[in-house]
Amino acid sequence: MTFVTPALLAGAALIAVPIVLHLIMRQKPKRLEFPALRFVAQRHETNQRRMRLRHLLLLLLRAGAIALLALALARPTLRWAGAMGSQEAPVAAVLVFDAAPRMQYRAENRTRLEAAAEFGLWLLGQLPANSEIGVLDTRLGPSAFEVDLGSARDRVRRLEAVAHSQPLTVVVEEALRLLAESDLASREVYVFTDLSRATWPDDEAARLRDRLAEVPGAAVYLIDVGVEQPSNYSLGELQLSAQVLSNRGTLAVETSLSRIGGAGEAGERTVELILFDGDGNEQRRSQQTVGLEAGQSERVEFRVGGLEVGTHQGEVRIAGQDALAEDDARYLTVEVQPPWRILVAAPEPADAFALYLTEALAPGVFRKRGQARFECDVTSLDQLPGRPLDDYAAVCLLDPGPLEPATWKRLADFASEGRGVAVFLGRNAAAVDSFNDAQAQAILPGPLLRQARRPDGDVYLAPADYQHPVTAAFRGQADAVPWTAFPVFRYWQLGDLAPGASVVAPFSDGAPALVERPVGDGRAVTLTTPVSDRPHRNPWNLLPVGEAWPFLILTNELAAYLVGSSEEQFNYTAGQTAALRLDPAQRRPRYTLSTPRGLKLPVTPDLDRNVLLVSATDEPGNFRAQAGGREGFDRGFSVNLDPRQTELRRIDEEHLRRLFGAFPFELARRRTELEGKQREARVGRELFTPLLLVLIIVLGAEHLVSNRFYKA
Amino acid sequence: MAAAERYLKPEVVNQIKRLDLRAQFIVRGFLHGLHASPFHGFSVEFSEHRKYTPGDDPKDIDWLVYAKTDKYYVKKFEAETNMTGYLVMDLSRSMGYTYRQELTKFDYAVCLAAALAYLMIHQQDPVGLLTFDRKLRASLAPRSRRSHLGDLLSLLARSKPEGETDIAASLVQVAALLKHASLVMVFSDLLGEPDAVLQSLYRLRHSGHDVIVFHILDEAEVRFPFGGMVELEDPEDHRRLAIDADGFRRDYLAELDAFRDRYRRECAQARIDYVPLDTSVQFDRALMEYLVNRAARG
Repeated sequence: MTFVTPALLAGAALIAVPIVLHLIMRQKPKRLEFPALRFVAQRHETNQRRMRLRHLLLLLLRAGAIALLALALARPTLRWAGAMGSQEAPVAAVLVFDAAPRMQYRAENRTRLEAAAEFGLWLLGQLPANSEIGVLDTRLGPSAFEVDLGSARDRVRRLEAVAHSQPLTVVVEEALRLLAESDLASREVYVFTDLSRATWPDDEAARLRDRLAEVPGAAVYLIDVGVEQPSNYSLGELQLSAQVLSNRGTLAVETSLSRIGGAGEAGERTVELILFDGDGNEQRRSQQTVGLEAGQSERVEFRVGGLEVGTHQGEVRIAGQDALAEDDARYLTVEVQPPWRILVAAPEPADAFALYLTEALAPGVFRKRGQARFECDVTSLDQLPGRPLDDYAAVCLLDPGPLEPATWKRLADFASEGRGVAVFLGRNAAAVDSFNDAQAQAILPGPLLRQARRPDGDVYLAPADYQHPVTAAFRGQADAVPWTAFPVFRYWQLGDLAPGASVVAPFSDGAPALVERPVGDGRAVTLTTPVSDRPHRNPWNLLPVGEAWPFLILTNELAAYLVGSSEEQFNYTAGQTAALRLDPAQRRPRYTLSTPRGLKLPVTPDLDRNVLLVSATDEPGNFRAQAGGREGFDRGFSVNLDPRQTELRRIDEEHLRRLFGAFPFELARRRTELEGKQREARVGRELFTPLLLVLIIVLGAEHLVSNRFYKA
Repeated sequence: MAAAERYLKPEVVNQIKRLDLRAQFIVRGFLHGLHASPFHGFSVEFSEHRKYTPGDDPKDIDWLVYAKTDKYYVKKFEAETNMTGYLVMDLSRSMGYTYRQELTKFDYAVCLAAALAYLMIHQQDPVGLLTFDRKLRASLAPRSRRSHLGDLLSLLARSKPEGETDIAASLVQVAALLKHASLVMVFSDLLGEPDAVLQSLYRLRHSGHDVIVFHILDEAEVRFPFGGMVELEDPEDHRRLAIDADGFRRDYLAELDAFRDRYRRECAQARIDYVPLDTSVQFDRALMEYLVNRAARG
């Protein structure tokens, strides 16, 4: 605490006056004759005690009033760390702008980001001369103080929304780190935020608090440029049934339409699915109208069939306009291929043994209608060595017996070209030596040890988690899958798994059931029990028997995994690096990337890995990479915003307090508010007014008390 | 008649007259209610004739009228109250006190006594006067002559309230002095030990007297209008107490109320009339109020 006029503190010595008056110069009482003194005498004692107490109170009030007056006239000012006692002393200030897409929310004919920039420019003008100024946004590049005020202004003017925006907590941490570099004593962070819940995540709070504790005396101002009650419709993340599908399949696109704010208004919106044809023209394939109350969310699903082979791009969008356009459209890219051909090799009679698998992958009904995703060719294991494999995307070995090492080698080569091999071990694998030689072990995930017998039927497939693409389809209804209804009586126990091999799903007793291992660019999957046993012939398991829908899904997903359809990704979140696989046969030195804004950028492929990498995925939309003209390479991918980037729900001050913990921060909405708080933090708080207020109260109390006592 | 002029101011007399003329029944009730006449039938003034009705005392029949009219008439007489009244006046120094009123307590008491004496003499009741401080000082034997009022008032006018007082002892003396059952009207501020005073009042009552206590306090003693630091001094024993008057008022009034309440309660039990008065009350109004109350009861 400091004083503007400390000399006036001496006035406090005047406290002595009422004390002396009280002790020495007591008021001389008026002498009066009073016959009824007896009534006075009877109460004199108790009354006197009370009076003395009141007099003491009065004395205290008077002395207090004098002391307060002296103190107030001396104009004390409260100071804390960082307060320099002056508005003009240079400060180290970092302006942090939230540049997330939701800052494009338009209100009063300007976006939140524009409002923040305008406020920021004004603030820059207010900062004392020679201040060190940093400007950060949620893109979070390298941070440094600007060279001068002009360049800081430029930074603010050039602010634009960032598709892949970091949480503000992270940027504030960076701002504090930058402040710590400054030698100036007064350090200030100005955070321009719309107070969206997504940008102040709870899980980052502890780190932020730690960082705040390391920079004591830093003043943090949160400037709320948000709209208190936003009103908006938004689309959720797109969920595609598959990113690679056969031209006979159907594409299911699922998303959610949510509404926030605008209670009381009729809420009906039309959601459209648009696909672009080869010339880039829009084709509205489907639309749905959904009515929503404020705060509600509704699922929207589209199904599109009959897509031609090739890359298809499109978008799901809300028709019409609202305050935030960024979340009104989501983009999608899928690739349509001819049905994948799968070669199924089984013991003689091959067709009979392969029936379960081929019917599961390409059911007869679908085959007749031409809707089957896969085309299965069946051959006997004996004929496998002579069979050309080039046309197939995957090979399945059903209950193989000993094979020539050359055949194993051929399969390994086949797989390493980016294709899949599945081995379903069964009773014919009794000659384990053949399976345990080096060539076979290039495909199999580990040496075969022995057959495990579980005649009680208490062992079944028990996927531990549903993270692998093969089991992911079960994720939604993991608890409802009746694995126990399909017991496994016998299976092959494996020795130590080869490096890189991993268990996709174990049996309920913990032994590996479905095991995969990467082979070159492809993959090999082994099931340690067959899927070709007839139920009446002492089968190893009952997986394909009865209401075997889990088997159906499992084999379909397994096949999709084998042919590589679940591996390719064409839909990314902003900020992720997109990767497009190249056909090794038709590699080109340069590709042209068309961005959603219509820019055409040259891209050089990574020829070693046969892939085209695009890291500039900052804008949401559909990207297209092309080379070699009409007949050449033409693939694309889509970039979408993380739905959290457009999340408009706000947090309240209470929530902020929890985030910041004990660290004091100031929340301001208006310039005047900010100015007051700045002055307080820089200069300290002038106590004149509050002291005067207290003085008035004390004087009032004194007046009241003395009036009560000494009424004339 | 200087004294009479001083105490029997025209407006007061008018007031009393009005009382007399307008409310005969009150006067009658006043004195009647106080005592039953021990000398029944001793008539003084003829009032009216009335037809005899069975149940009337035959000895009241006016035979002269019967002789003239051959009808029975009963003679009615103005009832004569021959109760002896004594005005007992406190001459203590404290009675001479007033803070800011025109009349001291003593003056007030004298006015009240004069009015009552006038009233009684007007009714042809003999009224005597006794004054006391530590003991009886002066006495005037009861008479009912009109000229007696002048004597009475001049004695009162001569008396000065300046002695110390012993109310209880003086009242005991009064009790011993009075031979016949009388109406004893005590005018005092009762600023003595209440136990002893009450005992002496009981004694008076037990001697067969009717007792009316006019408890007269100064307005200041009832309201306690002082402010600030004051040092109060008892005029009799010169004790002093310095107090903060504003802070004390509530306590004082509570104490006074308790004091008056005690007198009121204990007097009521002994069938003594206790009349609390203070000098700010118009005494004629006070008297009238008392008489009306009394009549209503009597």
